[in-house]
This record gives sequence, structure tokens and C-alpha cells, in this order.
Amino acid sequence: MLKYTTKRLLYSIIILFFVMFIIYTLMYSMPNNYIEQKARELASKPGAGKSYTEWLADLNAQYGMDKGLVAGYFTWIGSALRGEWGDSWVWTIPVTEEFHNTVWYSFALGLVSFILQIIIAIPLGIAAARKQYGFTDYFTSVVSMICISMPTFFLATVLKYIFAVKLGWLDISGMQSRDYMYLSDFGKFLDVAEHFIMPAITLTVISIGSLMRFTRTNMLEVLNSDYIRTARAKGVPEKQVINRHAFRNTFIPLVTTLGGSLPGLFSGALITETLFSIRGIGYASYESMVQGDIPFIMFYLAFISILTLLGNLITDLLYAAVDPRVRLS
Amino acid sequence: MAYYNLNDALKRKEEHEQAERAGHADEGMHLDDVTRVKVLSPGRQVVKRFMRNRLAIFGLCVLIFMFVFCFAGPLFYPYGQTEVFYEYDTMSVDYALASRNTSYTGYTVDESVEIERNVASAMNTNIKAMEADGLETMNVSGSDGTLYSIDRLGEGVYTLSRHQAERICTVGVSTVHIGLIDTITGEMTYGDVDSLGSGFESAAAAACTGLEGEFSYNGATYTFEREAGRRYNIYLTNEGITYFGTAIGGEFEDALYAAIDAGEELFELPDPDAEPVELTEEQIAAGETAETPMIEFTVHADSNGNYSVYRLTETDTGMVYTLFSLDTYETGLQVSNEFRVNALLAAYGSGSFTADGESYTVEALDGGQDGLLIRDVSGNEYAEFTTFVIRRYDGTDTMSYNLKGDIRDAIIAMTEAGQMNTAIVSQVPQQNEQGGYVTDENGNAVLNDTELRITQRNTGEYVINCDQITFLIDLYADPSAEHPLGTDGDGFDVLSRVMYGGRISLMVGFVVVILEILLGVIMGGLAGYYGKWVDNLIMRLVDIFYCLPMMPIMIILGALMDALRMDTYIRLMIMMAALGIMGWAGIARLVRGQILSLREQEFMVATEATGIRVKDRIFRHLVPNVMPQLIVIATLNIGSIIITESTLSFLGLGVKHPLATWGTIINSVSSATMMQEYPFIWIPVGLLICLTVIAFNFVGDGLRDAYDPKAKN
Repeated sequence: MLKYTTKRLLYSIIILFFVMFIIYTLMYSMPNNYIEQKARELASKPGAGKSYTEWLADLNAQYGMDKGLVAGYFTWIGSALRGEWGDSWVWTIPVTEEFHNTVWYSFALGLVSFILQIIIAIPLGIAAARKQYGFTDYFTSVVSMICISMPTFFLATVLKYIFAVKLGWLDISGMQSRDYMYLSDFGKFLDVAEHFIMPAITLTVISIGSLMRFTRTNMLEVLNSDYIRTARAKGVPEKQVINRHAFRNTFIPLVTTLGGSLPGLFSGALITETLFSIRGIGYASYESMVQGDIPFIMFYLAFISILTLLGNLITDLLYAAVDPRVRLS
Repeated sequence: MAYYNLNDALKRKEEHEQAERAGHADEGMHLDDVTRVKVLSPGRQVVKRFMRNRLAIFGLCVLIFMFVFCFAGPLFYPYGQTEVFYEYDTMSVDYALASRNTSYTGYTVDESVEIERNVASAMNTNIKAMEADGLETMNVSGSDGTLYSIDRLGEGVYTLSRHQAERICTVGVSTVHIGLIDTITGEMTYGDVDSLGSGFESAAAAACTGLEGEFSYNGATYTFEREAGRRYNIYLTNEGITYFGTAIGGEFEDALYAAIDAGEELFELPDPDAEPVELTEEQIAAGETAETPMIEFTVHADSNGNYSVYRLTETDTGMVYTLFSLDTYETGLQVSNEFRVNALLAAYGSGSFTADGESYTVEALDGGQDGLLIRDVSGNEYAEFTTFVIRRYDGTDTMSYNLKGDIRDAIIAMTEAGQMNTAIVSQVPQQNEQGGYVTDENGNAVLNDTELRITQRNTGEYVINCDQITFLIDLYADPSAEHPLGTDGDGFDVLSRVMYGGRISLMVGFVVVILEILLGVIMGGLAGYYGKWVDNLIMRLVDIFYCLPMMPIMIILGALMDALRMDTYIRLMIMMAALGIMGWAGIARLVRGQILSLREQEFMVATEATGIRVKDRIFRHLVPNVMPQLIVIATLNIGSIIITESTLSFLGLGVKHPLATWGTIINSVSSATMMQEYPFIWIPVGLLICLTVIAFNFVGDGLRDAYDPKAKN
């Protein structure tokens, strides 16, 4: 187990090395005048803190943009390993500070929708599988298909139209009301929570479909297996067949995939946060990407690449942990 | 009897059915009859299973509709995707501008009279000064000493005349340019004065050396200054009277000083050259005395505190200045300069004038306070000079006299009441639906009552607004028969944009999927077939590409292409290529997995045994076996690519204006107010995206179930 984990970890690091190399190449091939123009814009902003040349010098020092591609890449790896990620161009504070400021909002949003997703999708998926080709099955199939096919921005626009524009219950975007500063601590919490409603619904709806389908297929597979037929044949009540024999076995793939998606809770919802102006890491990185903020982009891309690899690793390890039949090699 | 050949069986079955249809099917079927069993080819089996899936059929219908709608629709739909629509609509426009004339405009009376530009441009100031001091006439001098006189004819009308005056002398400290002397030849060119004689010339020629200096001659001190070489300018600086011609002396100087002391501008002296006038006996009897012909002199103070004395003779009127502007009764009548000038000159004089061969009368209303009224020969009102200028907002003088009069009265009433805005109803030319003017059978404009709103601006002008039918871009038109989904913020027809946008969205989906499959099949095929290090290398590459975050990279690319101001078609190409390159990894993994299991099967051993080339073995024997899975995954992928593309376009980082895609159409109305005002634009488009993606997913699911009913979803 330990050997396998170490091996996988090393392997992930190699993949990360090459993934970051591709991303670095992308940044590196940005036209010079684009970077300079961005730096100039930045220096002319109020509160920029540094001059145009200082920004560029910092960028070159930490990101090796003035060296050759390979040498520059190693310069960047060096400073990244030392934890020197530089100052964000858009937010004009150290990248890591901006990360700390934003990541917890993203995590909260991700966690809420993750829990909602589990609560809604798994029971529905099981219900659909129990009565295959029944009404529930067709209904959940169609609903999950609609959820999968719904573009985030359209769903967000529809939600805004209904709840913010037509009904006027919620603010159309943003994270705080106008009177936020005058609220008590608990009031502040409620205020932010209220602003998280629509983003959470959006995230839940777009991710619910695939989990529902996943549960249904796995449940169907289990229900068609021999031991279920045996259990039914020997007269075990249907309730017990489903809850004890079938569901436990469906649990294996569910736990592994859900476990694998846990790191993703930190990665932020790029589109959703941007559409609702939630100051999470997704929104921060979107702004950075659009405005050519190389330090923050590099940090964010490295971060989510690590999360993806971590997710894969967790999936594999959990699979072995949950299902004793699986031998890791 | 049993048939084991499928074709025979089918043939027999067909014969049987034909017989049944003909009505003489008497022989019953046997239990072991092969025709009892429905035999289907694998392909038909798939089709049959697919047809049984209602959702898949629904999806297929939707897809067929989408394709017809997007690709055939524009052929029958009359509008293009970037066709701008216009409409005629009533809009409050700045109709006219009124202002009270505060500056004088000059008209040339006689072109032969030269007027110095400085003098002409100072006219407004001078007239203001005259008005302030209540002067009737004022003399001004040009920079060359020419004397002009400004005369007030009446309210708002002034003339500028040039004196044919002869400058006699200057009084005060003055420098007179005597002339230029060439000391080598001794030639003297006189400047302001007449010849001073050869004695002066030789004295000057002897005295002029060096750069500058002075010499005396005949009691006067001259200064000289080198111009160039041996030529010198000689000046005489005088205090007192400097004559330009022959000195008059004596009586003249006394009278001059008396006039200066008294501050008078004019004085007279008897003309010494004039013949004494002889009176007839009747005149003596009537008690008249002989008048001595007099010469009039005028003393004109210049800005240095010196005086110039002119002998007055005659003046030539060069310009006439007026506060008035002319409005003719007949709308838009062009009036010659001669008409204007003669009317102005006659206004406070004879009262009648001729211009262009016609004769007119002119009268000042209320002493010129209310302007000048001009009548033609038959006594009809012809034109009027007023202090109000009322023009259409574009500066043309095409408004009718009555309308101008109404506006003028309204403005006067408004200013008297101390208000800043008012409204009147007056007759304005009627417009038809196309914004043109309606005329009756005689060609006269038809008028109708229109509300005119008059507002005073801070600049003192008055703006007249009224509703006019204007040719406008038809922005955000509601759905109508002409535009079933209305028009968008650029005046484009939304339905046609939806069609063209669908083309791009579907095309992007197909191109990207084809690219993905091409890359995926090649890479996966190579990895699966060769195994070992090739497999290892390619699969690690797949792992790397799997880990690449697609959306962030697409956003960065979009922002970069924004910054480079790339052409929208090139953007489209780059976007498709990037999506394809980032999407092949999944397909490669699938193909490799299938090939690994197929490789061990007998038919592959057979291909090896028959010595088929490796390339053919992979791409003609292995890959076609992966085709079903490929088709399924391609169908499902198209849906997600359409979502990605529309998301990027929605964020403004994908396809750009003026190319339409579904994402950009929604983006154009994504702000809160737009969203509320124009749901007819974004809701249908959003539903269209959903429907298309759902249809692709249904069809993909249906295909998978049909190919392999036991497959895991």
C-alpha cells in the first residue's frame, strides 16, 4: 500500500511537471508587448505600489520570462518550490495572500453544493434503478439529462431572471448587501449565505445529473448481479435486498468517485463565481486570466492541476480501501 | 425443410408475404420454418433497437430540426446575420435653434472700397463702444493711418466708410521716415515726405556712417540707422507738428491746437485756393451773405496720444453692419447680397430701394426695435429683418415665416415671464411614414399642428424640440411578423442571428469532434497496437492532457486573442484547434483499451498470418471495430463542446461580433435591465442550446444502448 502510494505520488509529480511545462509554455509564448502593455496599465493604476519596470523585473525574477523557455521554467519551479509566487498584478497583493482571501469562500460554496448534490442525486438514482423503465426512471433520466445539458451561464441567467429580476428576492450578483457593514456578525453571515443561494443552486443543478446517472447505472449493475438474485430467491424482503445487499455494493464506486472529487471543492467554480460575482478563487482567477495576471494564473493553474492529480490518487486509494477484493500493485 | 442461407430465407419469406397480400395464402407456417424467425442484419438490429428508444428518437428529431433550421433556414429566411434594420419612428429631435443676435454681421456694399481687415474685425467692439457712448459717428484709423468712419444709420444698422482723406500732419512726438539713402551713389528715396532738396541729400550722405547715429541739418536733428550695406534709413523725430506735405502754418496751427484743447474732432478753415463765391443780386437782395468755401479738417487721436490731422473730403461706404438677420415670407427664398445691402441702407433713409431690378419699400418697425419690414411693389410683405435668428438645427434656413414668428413670439413671452422653457403648438410641415414631407397637389407643404418645446440653454440659445419621424436603427424591436424574435442591440434580426449562430455552434461541435477523433484514433491506435514503450509514452501524454485544465486555458487564450485584436474568423479556427487538442486524450484512452482486447482475437492473428501491412491492420481492421464506441463518444462530446463554445462566447472570449453564435446572442442581453426588458432574445436562444445538447446526449445514449445493450452507461 505504502509502496503503491509512493509510486503513484512520484508519478503524479512527473505528470505535474509536464503539465506545468505546457502551461508555462503558454504563458511564455504570450507576446512581449502584451505583457508590457499589461504591466504599464497596472503601473498606471492608483495604488499599484510598483512602477512598470519593477513589475516586469519581479516577473522576470520569479517567472524567468527573460530567459530561455527551459531555463525560465526551472527558474519558475525554483521560486515556486521556495514559495515565492510573486505579487498578483490584478489584486496587487502577494498571490498567496489573495489565495487565502478567496479560497474559503469557494470551499464553502463547493461544500454546500456537494452536500446538496449527494442528498438529492443518490436517492433519486437509486429510486430510478429500482423501477427500471418505470415512470421514475424516465423522469430522472430526462431530468438528469437536462441538468447535464444546461449551460451554466444560461441556468445562472434564468435564476437571476426569476429570483432577482422578477421576484426580487435575492440580489442579482455580489456577495454582500449594501448595508453589510451595519449588520451584526450573525447578520453578516446570513447576508453572505443569502448571496450564496443562487450560486449554490446553479452548481448543484449542473453537477446533479451525472451523479444521478452514475448512481443509477451502478445500482442497476448490482441489481442484475447473481447475489441479488440469490437473495431474492431465498425470500429476503425487497427492502432489505435494496438497502443492505444492493446499496452497500453500489457504495463502492460512489465513495471512490465522491472521494476523488473532494479536492475539487477547493478549486472554485470559475464560471459560476464569475457570473454571480462571488469573490472566490474562481472569480479571482477569471479576472486574472482576462487581465493577463501571469503570477496569479500560474499559481491557480498549478493549484488546480495538483487538485486534479490528488483527486485521481484519492480515487485509486479509496477504491482499494473500500473494496477488499482490489489488490493494488 | 429448412433454409440455412439467409438470402434464400429472406427470399422465401418475401414470396410468402406476396402471396399473402394477393389473398391466396392458404398454407400455414411450419414450426421449423425459418421465416418464422425474424432475421436481421447487425446493422438493422442496431437501428431497430435505436428506434425502440423513444428518447433517442426525440433527440434525433430535434437534431434533424436543428440542422434544417440552421443550415437550410438561412437559405429561405430573407435576412442576413449582419443586416441592420431601420425603422421610421417618432422621436423628439432638436428641430430648430433660435438665438438673439448680439453681434453685427457685415455685408459688403462696394467691393472697390478697400477695408483693412483689422478695422472690419474690430467693428463689433467699436459699435458696442458707440452704443455705450450714444455716438452717431466715430472715426477709426487703420494701421496705415487710413481713416475710416462708422456711422449709425438707425437701430441695428451701421455703415463703415473709408475716408478719402489726406493726412496733413501729425501732432505730438512722431517719427517720420524721411527716406532711404545710398551713401555711395548719393541717391535718396523719399518715404513719407516730399523731397527735401539736394542739400539735405549730400549732408545726409556725408553724415551716414557706422551702424546708427544722428546728424543735424537746417536746425532739425535726423537719426539714421543702417539697413544693409551702405544704405541708411533716415528718420526725423519731431515734437510738435510734422507735416507730410507742405507746411500750412499759421492760422491752421492755431485752429488745430484750439481744437485739440477743446477736445473737438472737427475744425474748419477758409479755403485759400477757392474762388470767392459771387452772389447774384437776388441773393443779396434776399439777405444772404457770401459763404467762404471752407476746408474741413478732422483731428484723430491715435493710441500713442498723438494726433493726426486729416483734411476731409469724401467718404466711400464699404460695408454695412447689422444686428438683423433676414427672414423671407416665402420659405427658403434665396436673397441676393444686393437686396440685403440696399434694404439696410434704405431702412432709415428713403424707405424704398431697388434690388435685382425689382423695387421694394422698407420700413423700420417701432424705430427698428421690432426689426425692418420689407414690402414688394404691390405692397405685400416680402421679408423682414429681425434680431432673432431661427434656423433648423442643421443650420439651414428652411422654416416657414409663420413658424419662425410663432417661435419668436413664444420666446419673447417666455423671457418676459422669466421662464427657461415653454411649449407652443404651431404648424410644422407634416411628415409621412418614411420621414419625408407631405405635399399637396400644388407642391406646397402640408402643415399640421405639432407641439414645440422651447428650452433656453445656458449659452443663451433657445432649442426647439418636437417629435419628428426619423430614420432610426431598429434596436430591440419587439417580436413581430417581420422579425419573429425581434431585433437586437445592433438592429440585427435575432432569428437570422440564431440561425447563423446555430451554424457556427454546430460546426464547431463537429469540427472539434472530428479533430479529437483523428488525434485520438491515431494516438490510441498506435499505443494499443504497439504496446511497450510506445504505449507507455502515449499514455503518459494522455495523462498529462487529461490533467490540463481546459476552461482556464481557453479563457487565457481568449483574453490573449482579445489583446492581439485577432480577426474573428482566425479566433474561431484557433478556438476549434485548441478544443480539439485538449479533448483527444479521452478518445485515445478508449481506442487503446478496445484495441488491447481486440488485438488478442483470432481475426488479428489472421491478419498477421496473411501478412497485411501494419498500417492496414490498425486502421482497417482494428479501428473499424472501435467505430461504434467512437460514434457514441463523438455524439456525446459534441454536446459538451457546444456548451464550452457557447460559454466562452457568452463570456466574450470566443467568437466575436459580428459573427453570431448562441453564446454571444445571450451575452448581448445579459445585464440586469436588458435581461428584464428583452427576454424574447435570450430565452429562446438558451432553450435552443439546451435542446440541442440534450438531443445530442439522447442520441448518444440511444446509440450506445443500441450498439451494446449490456454496456455500462
